[in-house]
Amino acid sequence: MLEATGLMVFYENMLALNNVSIRCGENQIVGVFGANSAGKSTLMYALSGIMLDIRKKEEMAGGERITLTGSIRYRDQEIMASKSSRRARLGIVLCPERRRIFKECSVLENLKIGGYLATAAQAQETLEYVFKVFPALTKLKSRLGGFLSGGEQQMLAIGRALMAQPKILLLDEPLLGLSPLMQAMLMHATREIRDERKISIIITEQYARPVIPIINYAFILENGSAVLEGTREELMNNPDVRSAYFGI
Amino acid sequence: MDIIIYGTINSVALALYALGFALVYGISRLPNFAHGALYVLSGFVAWSALNILGINYLLSILLAIAVTAIVGSVIYQFFLIRIRGMEISEIIATYAIALAILEGLRWGGFKGMTYTLPPFIEGSAAIGGISVDYQRLLTVGVGAALVAFLWLFTHKTRIGLALRGMAQDERAALMLGIDSDVMAVVAMGLGSSLAALSAMLLLPLGNIVVESGYNVLILAIAVCIVGGLGSWAGAVLAAFIIGFAQILTAVYLGSHYQMVVALLAIILTLIFKPSGIFGQQKELEERV
Repeated sequence: MLEATGLMVFYENMLALNNVSIRCGENQIVGVFGANSAGKSTLMYALSGIMLDIRKKEEMAGGERITLTGSIRYRDQEIMASKSSRRARLGIVLCPERRRIFKECSVLENLKIGGYLATAAQAQETLEYVFKVFPALTKLKSRLGGFLSGGEQQMLAIGRALMAQPKILLLDEPLLGLSPLMQAMLMHATREIRDERKISIIITEQYARPVIPIINYAFILENGSAVLEGTREELMNNPDVRSAYFGI
Repeated sequence: MDIIIYGTINSVALALYALGFALVYGISRLPNFAHGALYVLSGFVAWSALNILGINYLLSILLAIAVTAIVGSVIYQFFLIRIRGMEISEIIATYAIALAILEGLRWGGFKGMTYTLPPFIEGSAAIGGISVDYQRLLTVGVGAALVAFLWLFTHKTRIGLALRGMAQDERAALMLGIDSDVMAVVAMGLGSSLAALSAMLLLPLGNIVVESGYNVLILAIAVCIVGGLGSWAGAVLAAFIIGFAQILTAVYLGSHYQMVVALLAIILTLIFKPSGIFGQQKELEERV
């Protein structure tokens, strides 16, 4: 469904992504694991097209020179040059690291802003679905985004991304800084979203253990390169991966 | 009593000047120094439609607002889009556009004190023993209605909500498929039509002169800086503070000090609270 081949991203001369190829099939959950600065967020920005905007802004401000090469195919369509708004319209929606909630808007308004691309009927239906998957948000409808806890913000961020009617959802470190209980709840909800909405999901995380039960396939990033890939069982049986990413 | 009435009217006028500027800056972080020029331009468009083309007054007003909105959008789409993010260039470019519009109008023969728009309604009412003409009362009414309309627009409509998302976190908005350039064009169009609307309400109170373009710009910037750049609520509050301060100075010191009040307000704000009245949140973020 989504296939990136030979992705290279340079910040000036620093290589952030080195010839990374990843793919995600229809209705799959794919994990991308790697330590801090392994290139996970850069990969997500490259897939969602945000990198093009960052590059343009840096260019305008005379900052870092960002180089981006490779190919991203989405449903037999080359989208490497498409802007993020076009990719979102096609169904590639990023739920960013650190959630980036609209702090001065209420929960309901955050969700409605997420529904910018949706028709009125789709927005209404998805809104109801979001409150069904994350019942905790129902009570918080009119609270400002800035006053939510980390877990509530993450639920809202995923809900907001769902409002944009994604076909493939990119979750960038959704479990960052959350309690184990909240992590388990979110992963359960993620699987439910995949099953009920028929959405493919790519999920990045530093620590793979909470994510591993729900993924079909995974890639391991190290220093900007995809060093290893495999199904859940293959990774579980690899002793290096077990010690580095699962802590067992 | 007259201080309260004239203070309110003056404050509403300032709020009308500033809202368009605050809107554009709040959404696109674009300081639109052509704001005052668009204000004057709309006045002359309305005057020309009324006196040269001989169109009905209401239609002339609508035409002026539409033309100004289009000019604003075109300025963004064809000039400012190339220099987005370079703040100094944005200021220089918008100011250059302002000069081109204003001096172009002057060169085109629009100078002197002969250009006026008629008030919508003649006559005046007495409030607490002070006579206030209907045009000024109408300005206050429309000003209040406009604030209510803007609130509804930004809280209830799809585009309005998207504009607010863009204003708070541009990158997050991009991820949801909201296009920053489309939103900036919408914001410029809306901000320009607000400039035109305020011109239509306030110009009948005096002459249409090219110089007022510069004054409107300075007043709008003063209000926005005191209120906290980009904050709409702050702009309204600051309009009342500066508006009343101006009337008080006019009464107790002399009316030629009015402009000094606005400039003094900018200086004092920048010394004591650079982020303005409603800038606390940003201040906190900067500290973190």
